[in-house]
Amino acid sequence: MPDTKTFTFAGKGGVGKTSLSAAFIRILSERFPEKRILAVDADPAVGLSVALDVQPSMTIDDVRLRIAESIEKGETSAAAQLLSEARFHLMDCIVERGNISFLAIGRPEAAGCYCKVNAYLKQIIETLSGNFDFVVIDGEAGIEQINRRVMENVTYLVLVTDPSKKGFQVVQTIRQVAQRLVSCEETGVIVNRAPESFTTDVPDLLAVIGEDRFQSKNDMDGESVFSLSDASPLFLGAKSALEKLLGEDTENAAV
Amino acid sequence: MQLYDDVYSQIKQLLPVEASVRSPYRSDMCAPEGEKDRILFGSETAYELGGGGRQSASAVLFADIPEKQSETLLFGPDLDEISRDQPFGHVSVVRLKDGSGAQYSSETLKTIGFTVFRLYPEGYHIRISPVSCKEQVRVASSAIKKDRPLSFINVGNSLIREFLKHPEVEYAKTLFITDRDFDYRSLSAAALKVKKITDAVQSAMQLDELDCASCRMKPICDEIDGLRDMHLRKEGKI
Repeated sequence: MPDTKTFTFAGKGGVGKTSLSAAFIRILSERFPEKRILAVDADPAVGLSVALDVQPSMTIDDVRLRIAESIEKGETSAAAQLLSEARFHLMDCIVERGNISFLAIGRPEAAGCYCKVNAYLKQIIETLSGNFDFVVIDGEAGIEQINRRVMENVTYLVLVTDPSKKGFQVVQTIRQVAQRLVSCEETGVIVNRAPESFTTDVPDLLAVIGEDRFQSKNDMDGESVFSLSDASPLFLGAKSALEKLLGEDTENAAV
Repeated sequence: MQLYDDVYSQIKQLLPVEASVRSPYRSDMCAPEGEKDRILFGSETAYELGGGGRQSASAVLFADIPEKQSETLLFGPDLDEISRDQPFGHVSVVRLKDGSGAQYSSETLKTIGFTVFRLYPEGYHIRISPVSCKEQVRVASSAIKKDRPLSFINVGNSLIREFLKHPEVEYAKTLFITDRDFDYRSLSAAALKVKKITDAVQSAMQLDELDCASCRMKPICDEIDGLRDMHLRKEGKI
């Protein structure tokens, strides 16, 4: 089993986490064609599937509901059965595209406490992750998933913000919460959609990315990240950030 | 264990008279062990048994094995003779030792039944739904393109070896069905009945109700011979 490296993207809503996650996935896929990448859409808005042009037929939340229903009906209760049932359905959630496998968490739509089921699913997703060289998680906006310890073991926590004060405040809050709750080797900040005059003294800055007409057009046309121009500032910024995290290159991150 | 006799008879009636392959258990012919949590990716998979909406059925039942030996039987083509996705059936029959007391312990039956969830042959990725009694298997291209390709005999031996690790088990028989013309729908119905019996045994062992007229298990006890006796024996009434 490979030595898995996990990238988790977090930050305020609407700052470009999904676009950057998708760009990381594309870059990793192209740079390491022999490696396996798991792309996890943990944002209920499920934008990563669009960015990667994949259509999952089932999400983790669908599995959660199925198992919860079977418990309520008394069809299964033992731990071994629950794990087997979860593992059975989990494989149906995975969409494979070349060396990229995609998994969507989905949108919880039913009330009730599913702690037991969630615990099994978390265990299975962690186990599943061990099959991959890289796991890229597009997190939901804010700090909720960090608080709930959905992302407990992370190699790189990538904090994304726009140049706004509020964006940086959210980054700071996530950083503080993550220090307490997440096992993380390294954090880094990407500032997206920054004006040319923007400067910052953030110590773990990975990249500053300006306005990106390529990305805007891609979004408007509903195209995937694989159609994004190599000259896109977002793509170049993601590349530079990734190089810094993996320690391959330390060229100037500002784009 | 008589509880499963009727449903086992039904399963036997579905099967062809002669198996394509019949092999007594040999511990030296087990499948190579794979990594526990390793999954098989689509690009590594030659075909999937019981997957993609195709019929599949899986059951573990407790019954007598008159042949008095552990063995594997295959009905249909072997792993290296299959080239595309197709329906699949797997039934394991376990004979418990007389006097082991396991017949009356729902916990032991459950533990033995879970053996199939913990089998990880290399290049043979099993996933089982205990709720729908389905079993799907991804078979690796690398496993069937070797000089000595993986066979159902290897997988059956591995499963039997795991069953025999339980001290209450005397013999185990594994049946694999890959014949495309087989009646998988009826096997699926039988597998669900096996699950119903196993669930009923567990419920019966946990119930303290002694009045059959008001007991919620009555419909199942009426249907399955021996279940009522098992419950009453547990309560010391017979």
